[in-house]
This record gives sequence, C-alpha cells and structure tokens, in this order.
Amino acid sequence: MLKSIIILIILSLCIGTGAWLFFIWAVKRGDFDDIEGPKYRMLDDEDDQGSQGEKHEE
Amino acid sequence: MVTADTCIHCKLPIPRGDLVVDEIDGKELHFCCYGCQGVYRIINGAGLGKFYQQRDWHQEGVPDGVFGTAFDDDLLAGHVVTRNETSAEIALIIEGIRCASCVWLLEKLIDKVQGVETVRVNYGTHRAQIRFNPKETTPKEIFTNISRLGYLPHPYTSGAAQRAAVKEQRSLLIRFGTAAFLSMQVMGFSFALYGGYFHGIDPSIRVTIQYFAAAVATPVVFYSGWPFFAGAWRSIRNKAPSMDLLITLGVTTAYSYSIYSMLAGGEVYFDTAAMIITLILLGRLFEGSARNRSISGIDKLLRLAPESANLMAGEHIQVVASTSLKPGDLILVRPGERIPVDGLIHGGKTELDEATISGEPMPVLKQQGDTVLAGTLNLSSSIQLRVERVAAESFIARMALMVEEAQNRKAPIQSLADKVATLFVPFVTLTAAGTWLFWFLNDVQSNAALLNAVSVLIVACPCALGLATPTAVLVASGNAATRGILFRGGDILEMTARIGTIAFDKTGTLTLGKPTVEKIIPAPGQSEESLLRIASQVENGSSHPIARGIVARAKVAGIHIGTTNSVETVPGRGLRMVGSEGEILVGSLAFLEECNIEIPFVESGSLTEVYVSLAGHWIGTLLIVDPLREEADSAVGQLQQSGLRTVLLTGDRLAAAQEVSSKLAISDFHTNLNPADKTEWIRSHQEAGEKIMMVGDGINDAPALSLADVGCAMAGGTDIALETSDLVLTRANLGRVYEAVYIARKTLVVIKQNLFWAFAYNLITIPLAASGNLAPVWAALTMASSSVIVVGNSLRLGRVIRRTFSVAKARASN
Repeated sequence: MLKSIIILIILSLCIGTGAWLFFIWAVKRGDFDDIEGPKYRMLDDEDDQGSQGEKHEE
Repeated sequence: MVTADTCIHCKLPIPRGDLVVDEIDGKELHFCCYGCQGVYRIINGAGLGKFYQQRDWHQEGVPDGVFGTAFDDDLLAGHVVTRNETSAEIALIIEGIRCASCVWLLEKLIDKVQGVETVRVNYGTHRAQIRFNPKETTPKEIFTNISRLGYLPHPYTSGAAQRAAVKEQRSLLIRFGTAAFLSMQVMGFSFALYGGYFHGIDPSIRVTIQYFAAAVATPVVFYSGWPFFAGAWRSIRNKAPSMDLLITLGVTTAYSYSIYSMLAGGEVYFDTAAMIITLILLGRLFEGSARNRSISGIDKLLRLAPESANLMAGEHIQVVASTSLKPGDLILVRPGERIPVDGLIHGGKTELDEATISGEPMPVLKQQGDTVLAGTLNLSSSIQLRVERVAAESFIARMALMVEEAQNRKAPIQSLADKVATLFVPFVTLTAAGTWLFWFLNDVQSNAALLNAVSVLIVACPCALGLATPTAVLVASGNAATRGILFRGGDILEMTARIGTIAFDKTGTLTLGKPTVEKIIPAPGQSEESLLRIASQVENGSSHPIARGIVARAKVAGIHIGTTNSVETVPGRGLRMVGSEGEILVGSLAFLEECNIEIPFVESGSLTEVYVSLAGHWIGTLLIVDPLREEADSAVGQLQQSGLRTVLLTGDRLAAAQEVSSKLAISDFHTNLNPADKTEWIRSHQEAGEKIMMVGDGINDAPALSLADVGCAMAGGTDIALETSDLVLTRANLGRVYEAVYIARKTLVVIKQNLFWAFAYNLITIPLAASGNLAPVWAALTMASSSVIVVGNSLRLGRVIRRTFSVAKARASN
C-alpha cells in the first residue's frame, strides 16, 4: 500500500517536472515577451502558397 | 515601376493571352486577371484609388525625401551585433506602426529582402529584431526597404534598464510558474491529509505524505517567495512595515510551524504557505506586465532628432553624425527631414511642423534668421541652418531630460494595502508576543505559550488581505481593457480614484486635431461642388493638414478629384497650379491679394480662411476649423458632475482656447504654454496638495504626462505620449476618461470592502487563537471562506462595471 503510493507520487512528480521544464524553456526562449502580437499573427495568411498581389518589386 | 505589360493592381507581369483591359474613369487599364480587375474596382469605388499612387510615392506634391531618408551604413554599423561570419542582428524601433496589419506588412516585406533570415516585429513596443546575413545585405538596404513602405526606422540599442526590466519580468514569470506547478502538488497532498483528518489515516502514510508536501512546498517558499523576503528585508531596513513583511511573516510561521509539527506528529499547513505565495505572485505578474513599456519613452523621444546631418563644407555636402556638429556649422535640411539640432535659418524659407513643441498641427512659416528647434519636421523646401547648440543640448535632449526628471520626481504611490499593513504588522506582532507572555506566565508546564502565539501569527496570515487588492485590480483592469482603457498597474487604478483635478490638452485631445472644412462660401455664380473640386484638385497630394481636410471633405461629398498637375508650393502662403481651366491659387488672403485678385470681405469669426481663385478671379472661400470631439461636451460634463475640477492647458492662442473653453464650460484655462510651462503648472498645484490627471496626446505633453499623478494618453496620439503615460485609452474617445475614473472609484470601494472582510475574519480568529480555542481545521476553513468572500466580491466588481456601461450604451443607442 505505502509502496504503491510512493511510486505513484514520484511518477506524478516526474510528469509534472517535465511540464515545468517545458514551461521554463518557453519563457527563456522569449515566448511570453510579446503576448499581444501573436493573436493577430494567427490571422495572417502565409503567402508561401503563392498568393498574388503581395509580391513587391525591386 | 509599372510598365505596359504588368497588372496595374498586383504589378505581376501579364501572361500572354490573359490580358484584361478595362476602362475606368476614362483611363485604359491593364489587368492580369478578372480578380485583380474586381479588386481594383472595389478599391477605386470606395474612394481609395489614391492607394495606387501612394504605394509607390511618385505622386507630385508630396515633398521629396519624406519616405526616402538616406541611411548610412557607417552610422548603422554601431548598432549591428555580429553573431558570426554569416549572421548578424540589428534592433530597431519603427515609427508609424498603427495596427496589427502594419506588423504583418513589415514582417512580410522585410523577410523578402535578400539575405534577411528572421524578422520579428513586436506589436506592443514597435520594436523589430532582424537577423540577417551581412554578406548578402546591409542594414542600409533593410532600412531603405522599410522607409519605402512609409515607416521610419530608427536603430535602437536597448538600454540596461530595459534589459533589466525584461529579465525581471521573465524571472517573475518563472517564479510564478514554478509556484503554480508545485502548489498544485501540495494541494493534492493536502486533500489526502484533510481526508485523513476526518476519516482516519494510517500514521505511516500520513507522515510520508507530509514529507512529500514539505519537499514540494520548500522551493515555493524559498525560491518563488524570494521577492517577498527581499521586500520584507527592505521594509525592515527602512523601518516601514509593508505588505511584503506581512506576507513573509505569515508564510514563514506557517512553514516553520508545519515543519515542527510534522516532526512532532501534528497537522501541517504547507498548502497555506504555498497558496499565499502563488496567488500573490499572480497579482504581481499581472501588474508588472502592464508597466513594462513605460521605460522606453525617453528613448523614443531622443530618436526624434535624426542621427545624421548634411554638413555643408564649401561646395561639398557631407553626411556626418549629428553629435559631431558644432555651433557655427552650416547644415542642409531637406524637405521631409527632421531638424537634427537647434539652429538659425541661414538661407531659404520653409514651413515647419512644430507639433513637437506646441502640439498644434498647423505648419509654421520660418525664414532667414528664425530659430528652428531639433525634432521639428521640415515640410516644404530645403533650408540651410547655422548650428546654434550641440546635439546634447538641443531642444529634444532638453525635453528628454524633463521627462526623465519628472519620472524620477514622481513619488511612488503607496497602495492602500501597504498603508493597512503599516498598522497591521505591529498589531499582529504585539498580539502574538502578548499571547506568548500571557500563556508563559499562566501555564509554565505545557508548550501552550508557543503554540498559541504561532497560531495567532498563522491566522493573521494575510491570505485574504493579500488577495484583496490584486483580485480587484485584476478584475477591474481586465474589464477596463475590454473597454479600451489600459491602467499601467494597480497603483494607477488607486490613484485615478483619488484624482481631484483633470487637466486637458486642447489640440488632438479635446479637438480632433484634424482641420476640417466647416463652411463653404462660393462666389456668386459658383456652386459649392465646383469650388470644392477645384480646391481639392490642387490640395490633393499635399501633406499639409488643411489640404488633407479639404480633400477629405471633397471625397465625402463624392466629388471625383481629377489628376493633379505640377503644384507649386509657396511656403506660408499657399499653392499654385495651372489646370486645364487656367491658373488656380489656393491659400491665404495675403497670397491671393499679392497676385492681384480682388476678394470681397468674408465673415469668418475665429475660423481659418482658405481662399480659392481660378484664372484670376476669386471663386470662393473655405472656412476651416479643428472641430471638437463629438463626445467632448458630454464627457467633460460627466467629469464635472462627478466632482472633478477641469482645466485646459494649451500651447494655442487665447482666442482658440476661449472658444473651446466656452463650448465645454471649462472656466479655468491657460494658454500659450510650452512643455515646461505645463509641467510647472502641474508641479505648483501638486505642491498645493492636488491630485492631478493630465490628458494629452502630443510630444509636447510628454513631460506633463510623466509628472502628473496620472498621465492619460489616447490612441491616435504620438507614441511618446502613450509611453510616458500611466493610463492609455486605446479608443480615441473622451467618454473613456470618465469611464476610467468611474471604474477606478468603484475598484477602490471594492478594495476597501475586501480589506474590511479580511479584517473581520482576523477580528474573530485572532482572539480565538490567542485564547487557545481555535482548532486548526476551523482556522483553515475560516481562512478559506474569507478568501472566497474576497475573490467573490472582486468578481462582483466585474459584473457592476459591465452592467453600468452596457446600460449606458443601450440608453445612448436608443
């Protein structure tokens, strides 16, 4: 009984630590520095598909 | 440029056989497909046909160089950070970003420059970070590409203060993330322990879980809670008890008691310690993110003066750094360039946009011998300047200094919660000490003295107290933000509620700052329409604000503005153009009279007059006014009704101010003020004990905005005004000023209620704890319920705000 509880708790801590490290990585990468822009960036269509009109001339 | 076989809309070459020819407005146009033709018709039909001229900026009338400022690789080199041989980075501030589409456009187009690797434009701060291959492109090319779009890039090296602020914010975020993650674990363990308390639990399992809880709570207290410890230490050193001290007191006692109790086989309170820290960190995090932008205001101000100047050395013109200019040097300033240093005009005459100094949008005529100030914009023709002061002493540098001084002088706002803590901390410590003394004297045998003293400290722990302000601030700022009102932090919210005086700038704040045609007076025999058509034909393409007003009016009236021939600008006078029907003159009375045109008297009041003549005959006059904002009257009225004193501070003339003040019933007005006068006015009234809010929009308001207890800027104002203010209205609507005050006042009421509830809880539990009658679980329960009441009360604030303004909106629309 006690043993299984300890194993489960440690397991859950390990999973949680994984998520925590992922979070730290994201913060360090600067993903949270601009929290205003991305919601608009989502609306931009990528022009990789070759839509016309955006190509600008040199 | 567009050649015959490229599509007029998308400018792509037209594939053989796909040509679509259409005749629009009498011109034959070529398209590559029906899609482009359709889009062209829509854009043109919406009166936006000018887009096609503007995207290339080849139309006459726009001063040369506005969007073609020369950039110099040598000057930019200092701002490039080299990573390795094929990779370098440059940071810039881009002037002119208005909306998310600008960010989109810039990112796409910079990305297309050969050699650019990555681009990120920050929507909030207007900063761009560009990584490029120095072998394939140069900073100059990137800058030229940006400026060709109509944006003005400035190299930007972030100051140490800003980098520190970003680092600080990141570390706070990590502290909070860690605390949140670990607190969830602690809560899980605590639930098991609470269950065990009521239903029984195997002691060995209980102790095991307690050990886990302790292991998980320790980093929360000492790592995540570190800022509180540091704050507590500061407050002890300054002998001024603060909220930090109270939090630290509660957390450390809860934590150390739990450790002791765990070893002695009792109940633990690790969850209390962990949750207080997590929740209060969340509040801090929220307040911090709003504040981050304000530091860069000074920096942007300094960027107003160009970094390079054209030094005239004999016959040659040499591009040199502005900082190297010495008094007595002769420099050339082309139209569209900003003046780099203060100086005297040595040759030529021109119109200057002096909005930086006076806030007025109307250009000012300057000629030989006149003083011009750094940062002002040369509009119409090239001038030669004799340098008067070095760059470090120029007008712009002095303004930046003023802003900096004002920001430093401003006393930090002491929040209500901190004031409460000042009284509460000594009270709690004295009670705990008293409890210990009482039990120590009466019951020497048991350890009741220590136990009871500790429980006083734990129940006094400021869970609800700590939540009282942040939750209310969170709800209020969130709701305010959806209404376009951004408070830079909770202290600003509290301060806004205590404001007694509101000072307004005139141009651009109470008025629209956009001159519009108020009245059209055609000469006998002329129609209003033809007058407007002729005038707008000449004014089309001019960047003069009056010209824009006239053209806008013509478009509203549905008048088709024909093609514009070569227009001659006579600085300070008007415009001259030879059209198909003869010579057209548009300008001041003096200008037309000089050209021997007879003009009858026109009653204009205090309005600006623009006279128009065709082929030597006066054909009419347009009366121009900078109109008041539609909602100005009602907004100022509402503010006055809610007990606020309203004042007008303007750089404009007396007559114009009188007109505005009488319309808005602002009896107190001050005219002809320069930036320093405005700050002086605010300072003298602050010294008399007034709490002042300044509402402004211009660069000239920046020092006043920083000094005022609350500086408020509206969208549409200059970036510098926005950055030096504490309260930003993202919609240019004066009604929001009243809403901001209303929301702030309601929030302060809720904060007071919250603090009251937090105290009511302490009032009941502290005596019980002191007398040794408080069972630990009941303590936990009451603590939780007081927190719930506080949070619920804060949420109620959101409903009140939403209801008040949705009702007001419904009424307004009926």
